[in-house]
Amino acid sequence: MSAPAYFGGVTVVTALGIAAAMFLRPAFGHTVLQWIGLESIPQAAPSSFYTVRVAPLLEAHCTSCHGAERQKAELRLDSFAAVLRGGKHGAVVMPGAARDSSLFTRITLPVTDDRAMPPSGKTPLNKDEITVIRLWLAAGASGTLPVKAIKGAPALVVPVKMPELDLAAVRRQRAPLAHEVSRLQRRFPGVIHYDSRSSADIEVDASLKGAAFGDDDLDALVPLRDRIVSANLSGTAVTDASAPLLASMKALRVLRLMNTKTTDATVQALASSKTLKVLAVAKATPGTLAPLRQRGVRVYEDLDVR
Amino acid sequence: MSDSPVTREIPHVRVWDAPTRLFHWAVVILIFISWLSADQGLMTIHLCSGLTLLALLLFRIGWGIVGSATARFSDFLHPPRKVVAYLRGLAGGDRQLYAGHNPAGGLMVVAMIAVLLAQAMTGLFSNDGLHFTGPLALLVSDDASTWLTTLHATIFNVILLFVWCHVVAVGFYVFVKGDNLVKAMFTGHKPYTHVPADAQVFFARSYVAFLLLLLVLTIGGVGWFIIQGGFLL
Amino acid sequence: MMLERESQSDLLQRLCCQAQSRRQFVSWGAGGLGAFFMSTAHAAQQPSTSSGLTFKRDPSTPLSVLPPQFPAKVKRVIYLHMGGAPSQLELFDHKPTLSRFNGHDCPQSFLKGKRFAFIRGVPKMLGPMFPFHQTGKNGTWISDRLPHTERLIDDLCLIKSMKTDQFNHAPAQLLVQTGDARTGHASLGSWVTYGLGSENQNLPGFIVLASSGPGPTANAGKPLWGSGFLPSVYQGVECRSAGEPVLYLNNPHDVSRAQRRHVLDAVDEINRQTHAEFGNPETVARIAQYELAFRMQVEATEAMDIRREPAAVLARYGAEPGKTSYANNCLVARRLAERGVRFIQLYHWGWDSHGSPTDEGINIGFVNRCRETDQPTAALLADLKSRGLLEDTLVIWGGEFGRTPMEDNHGGSNEISKYIGRDHHTAAFTIWMTGGGVKSGMVYGETDDMGYEVVKDPVEVRDLHATILYLLGFDYQKLNYPYQGLDQKLTGVKPARVVSEILA
Repeated sequence: MSAPAYFGGVTVVTALGIAAAMFLRPAFGHTVLQWIGLESIPQAAPSSFYTVRVAPLLEAHCTSCHGAERQKAELRLDSFAAVLRGGKHGAVVMPGAARDSSLFTRITLPVTDDRAMPPSGKTPLNKDEITVIRLWLAAGASGTLPVKAIKGAPALVVPVKMPELDLAAVRRQRAPLAHEVSRLQRRFPGVIHYDSRSSADIEVDASLKGAAFGDDDLDALVPLRDRIVSANLSGTAVTDASAPLLASMKALRVLRLMNTKTTDATVQALASSKTLKVLAVAKATPGTLAPLRQRGVRVYEDLDVR
Repeated sequence: MSDSPVTREIPHVRVWDAPTRLFHWAVVILIFISWLSADQGLMTIHLCSGLTLLALLLFRIGWGIVGSATARFSDFLHPPRKVVAYLRGLAGGDRQLYAGHNPAGGLMVVAMIAVLLAQAMTGLFSNDGLHFTGPLALLVSDDASTWLTTLHATIFNVILLFVWCHVVAVGFYVFVKGDNLVKAMFTGHKPYTHVPADAQVFFARSYVAFLLLLLVLTIGGVGWFIIQGGFLL
Repeated sequence: MMLERESQSDLLQRLCCQAQSRRQFVSWGAGGLGAFFMSTAHAAQQPSTSSGLTFKRDPSTPLSVLPPQFPAKVKRVIYLHMGGAPSQLELFDHKPTLSRFNGHDCPQSFLKGKRFAFIRGVPKMLGPMFPFHQTGKNGTWISDRLPHTERLIDDLCLIKSMKTDQFNHAPAQLLVQTGDARTGHASLGSWVTYGLGSENQNLPGFIVLASSGPGPTANAGKPLWGSGFLPSVYQGVECRSAGEPVLYLNNPHDVSRAQRRHVLDAVDEINRQTHAEFGNPETVARIAQYELAFRMQVEATEAMDIRREPAAVLARYGAEPGKTSYANNCLVARRLAERGVRFIQLYHWGWDSHGSPTDEGINIGFVNRCRETDQPTAALLADLKSRGLLEDTLVIWGGEFGRTPMEDNHGGSNEISKYIGRDHHTAAFTIWMTGGGVKSGMVYGETDDMGYEVVKDPVEVRDLHATILYLLGFDYQKLNYPYQGLDQKLTGVKPARVVSEILA
């Protein structure tokens, strides 16, 4: 046999072999076709039901064995295209028919069944998670259908996001008033604090100072007034004279004035505040507090007569 | 030689010893067994065939040092320049004869042994994420074991590629060059026309093979005992 | 025998040996080690961890306020620990199916492979001993044992799916209070005061008030409010609601406050010299503690004095000045909350309703415990709410595990006991939380029809801790203290999650 004939034969046999493999393993077939470019790679939209609800489940329960590190049964579930591609035993997704999709049937097998997924030792999917997958399959296993389009899905439990601490950014935010804050912290020890390490907002708590803290002292805090988010002046000597200052605090969310000599005048001055969420006042005449309550402010009145 | 109705028996020269031939075909069978058992999830069989492969590979490496002439690495390991020159000659139709492996074949042997060894060794540390772990998987961290498992899966593809290369190359010799290497690897003999005229093949004694095998099995046994006894943990 | 006369050299040697007393050897040795120590002492004084959060403070004010990591929902915590483990099946977890199985043998599936504290053999199922009804805006099920607390049900968030892995009191209490079932770890209150300090520098930041029915009290003892590996200044201070708030706080009979001040000045000076010599940060903490005790003499006495409350308030709580009671403690807790104490912990012991002796019977002792705690708890919540303090206070109520749906058969004795009880149950128990950042009128988690296993939304103890720290403004992974080569966390080494579903 001549060399060209031989190598021609090799090429033919190899091609036939690959074709046979593609036929016997459809998943492999799709991979090859997509790699060559003869088939488009299915993508899922970022705001689709799949991306928001289904993909995180697969990531949490499945991709450790069906993903980048391991591909058990030649199945990957770490991308929309891979899910549609299936594995050694064919497609795992039958759009529109949850009961015919092994992605669904395997996760609903009893725990004692050998073929149950995830296999024993791994956390099984709970009822809500199985419902999410069933609804997605029933709605056509789409990668574009938006979250809201699928009705009846159990509420999404959003894991709590812990904010990252960017000390440099915080320092920059605090910089303009940093000098004033230090000066006033030295003057009134224990009264002025930043409300957290990740912000430049300020909390004022003079309640433990009692009568030693009055209108003049509050006045000294004027440079900080736009940054004050919370002011606890309960039990201090603050009076209605401070009302304009308090009303001018643009960021004030929580204000406590219980056990002070403030009157309705202060309450009325605060009625125009757009940011106030919680207000605790000394005794007020009935009706003064209603407008604030109507706006959703939580108001507490000093009921213990002292 | 003209073709005559009376087939004249062409004298053959013995080139391959029994251990080398047994090794070659055992490895072929074991590769298939390992492949099939992994595919079907029969991990105990996979472990056994993998360990046997490892033992055979270690034997082959030892045999490549103390075995028959054609089995020794010194016989078929050539500098890259020689391999390139040989391939050029092949393409040009030069008649180059070797008793054992030719330079290209030698390279294939080394590459194959290396990749099979890598596969067996990564297999020792692999885990399947569930209940099955390789014998040495517990000696390394979970992350390392997972990484080595991924490597084990990747190297399998490399093995497939090498096997394809090897079969195609051997097929070239058989069908194009008329040099039936497959038969030679079975019978151990080549027609003298396909062997250099001055070929002098030294054959190692059988007992050397047995001793080497015994050595490998002993080391394996001791290793197994240490691992099973948990002394390394 | 003639004694040899001591030669000059022998004499010198003897004197030398006598001079080199062990004490001196140790102090010279310490000098060498001290230099070594100084380099580590500074590190210990200013723990800095890989999280980027430092809790560095002036050592003389170890409880000074530090802002939380991110804006907090609550500033203070009141933890009402019902020691001995109250029966959730008689209070919050309504199980009508269990009633139907009352008196039947317990199925094997509940017993197989499990260990119990006192149950042996096959116990009988025990249906709820008190009637349940629905209440509040959401029709929450509750038994008739807590009529006062019930009125505030719309403010509470019940968690019925708590789980633990400790079935004995001491380790279970330690797990709930310190995050680990063994001693040596810092309590929740210690972590909180370490991380946040305390607003009132004249009172301890972490105060513990204990009361009990008759019978044994704290199974795990003082480690429950101990500081573990954290500096000892963060430990809980056990105060009393009758008599002196803190034992030995007040001056002896003939010693005036001015005289005490003189003594303290002298002690401070000595301590300062010691600190200059050895640099042990605990010395500075000790100075700070003496100073705190001095300030506390005035402020703690005033804070704990419930006689200053009007009679109407005392009646609301059921408090009786001069006695030690849970009611008194609740009122003190409110006063402490008003005075800037960061972590107030109340313990009420005696809930261990095994069924013998009398006081541990569900039909007797348990009834008394409910009566002792229901009204004061409700009064505390109502007071906090009316003062607007519930906005930024977190109140937690609960025990260390639950109680079994099976009757405690006292080691398989099968004798018919007139004292009905349940054994310890780790697989499910109920707590409630209320306050800033927590959803009101919510029931989270479910157990199966028999009240045995959690079937929905399990919450491990470390998840509860992670949630508490989140409400206080901390990522539970970032509130660290480096110790024994590890950045220690309250939640320990297992992954925890913040129970986001109950957050408002």
